[in-house]
Amino acid sequence: MNRKIAIAGYRMKAASDLVTTRERLTFELTRGLFDDLGIDRDHVGTTIFATNDFLDGRTISNVFLDPPAGVYMRDESKVEMDGLSALVYACMRILSGQYETALLVAFGLCGSQVSPYLHVEYTLNPTYDRQLGLLNELSAAGLQARSFLNKFGYSEDLLDEIAARNLRNAALNRDQARGIKDASAKDIKDSSYLYEPLRELHTYPATDGGCAVLLASETKAKELTDKPVWILGMGQSIESYYLGERNLYESRSTREASGRAYAMAGIDKPEAEVDFAEVSSLFAQQEPILTEALGLYGPGDAEKAYAGDNGIAGSLPVNPSGGPLGAHPICATGLFRLNEAIKQLRGEAGKNQVKKAEIGVVHGQDGVCAQQNTVVVLGI
Amino acid sequence: MEAPAENFFTPVVPLDFVYNYRVGPYIERYLRGFKDKKILGSKCPGCGKVVVPARMYCGPCNRRMEELVEVSQEGSLENYTIGHVILEKGAIKPAKGPYMLGLINLDGTDSLLLGRVEGVSVAAAKPGLRVKAVWKEELDGDFKDLDHFEPV
Repeated sequence: MNRKIAIAGYRMKAASDLVTTRERLTFELTRGLFDDLGIDRDHVGTTIFATNDFLDGRTISNVFLDPPAGVYMRDESKVEMDGLSALVYACMRILSGQYETALLVAFGLCGSQVSPYLHVEYTLNPTYDRQLGLLNELSAAGLQARSFLNKFGYSEDLLDEIAARNLRNAALNRDQARGIKDASAKDIKDSSYLYEPLRELHTYPATDGGCAVLLASETKAKELTDKPVWILGMGQSIESYYLGERNLYESRSTREASGRAYAMAGIDKPEAEVDFAEVSSLFAQQEPILTEALGLYGPGDAEKAYAGDNGIAGSLPVNPSGGPLGAHPICATGLFRLNEAIKQLRGEAGKNQVKKAEIGVVHGQDGVCAQQNTVVVLGI
Repeated sequence: MEAPAENFFTPVVPLDFVYNYRVGPYIERYLRGFKDKKILGSKCPGCGKVVVPARMYCGPCNRRMEELVEVSQEGSLENYTIGHVILEKGAIKPAKGPYMLGLINLDGTDSLLLGRVEGVSVAAAKPGLRVKAVWKEELDGDFKDLDHFEPV
């Protein structure tokens, strides 16, 4: 990149029900972030929202957000996707040389406002899949889980281990909406099947949540914070919508996206150079699928990894925050991963802190079974 | 910054309207094929792959698939899930009983077709299991004509 870009600060908030409005959440996040950094709206060059009109139930839903986000009469735009896509857009705006700072605001209110499953239901092909009525977010995830277990000969116990680990980690993290202290694999197995082998506790919780993140050019970042976290690389990729044309046990588009991000960051051997990962695994099986695609663990290494290597105290931790099984505020989830990585890199992750955190990789997704993926590499 | 807990008035605001989509000529022909108990796929002139249901564009080749071909009604079950719930307008509800959904590779095709599978127990479900299409008794040229798949 021709300019260095850092994250200067962030605010995040999640719960099963925040008992709030979009506008109020936006104000608390952005005004709170401004106060943290000792700035006001005059310091913000451009603002990008990551929100979803369908979930908000109104078109161009950002039109009411200019007062609470401080963007009245300012440069403002929106990305109708996961927040990490908005981050890529915001970086491009800073890289253009036109802006020194970019504010990201992302939220989804699927805990209280509308069912999260409608988000994918209305992604589906209206003239085929929606007519047939067989495919939905959960049946697709069930097929993906079965494909993954069959491919590598794992038992369903692995999904229970993954979910238990994440819910335990999430219980240590005050930024998560759901956690289960001391969760065991048995606790997970006691939850009901949705689409076998997928159980209730293998899936993300319906979540209200949002975040605000301020990106800044090198000069500006050093003025705003003593702890800048640098964006070293980013990449995106999209694969076929049709599940019948993808190997569901792998994520080729995440592999492509991470290849681009690592090349930009000058990383040749991610498994040796990356210290930890925060990935948007919405269902238990997606965590090993994504970390394999990110080049951090080999295909078929999942059982070994979950024996300890990828835990908080392990050699290459994955989702030490507890990941999206703790909170999935649609549109903000990728940026939640980013914020969790910032906490790690700044040494502010408390009980979730990993031993070594100098380079982290974060991942965001959109679409059915992670059709579209964004990967960002961060460093201090 | 923490706001005290409050109760907000929560009006229920439905959205209720209709979209008139065109399914396009390939799905039209695909459904017309159902009336004759035929399953149509489309073949890419670039990579030669055949995908079912028929669709118009090949992603990897970025080309229009010109040729519609009839494909086999038999194939192998490649992937499956047992539904214990249904989703109704976004709400999870218990299913009447467990049911199997399968991704099926019809012989001679390069994609997997999603369908209901009957007559296969969880224990018997294995990738590669041979299955065949079962049609409804009265055919309407509708999505539901191809009722389910069952073991050969």
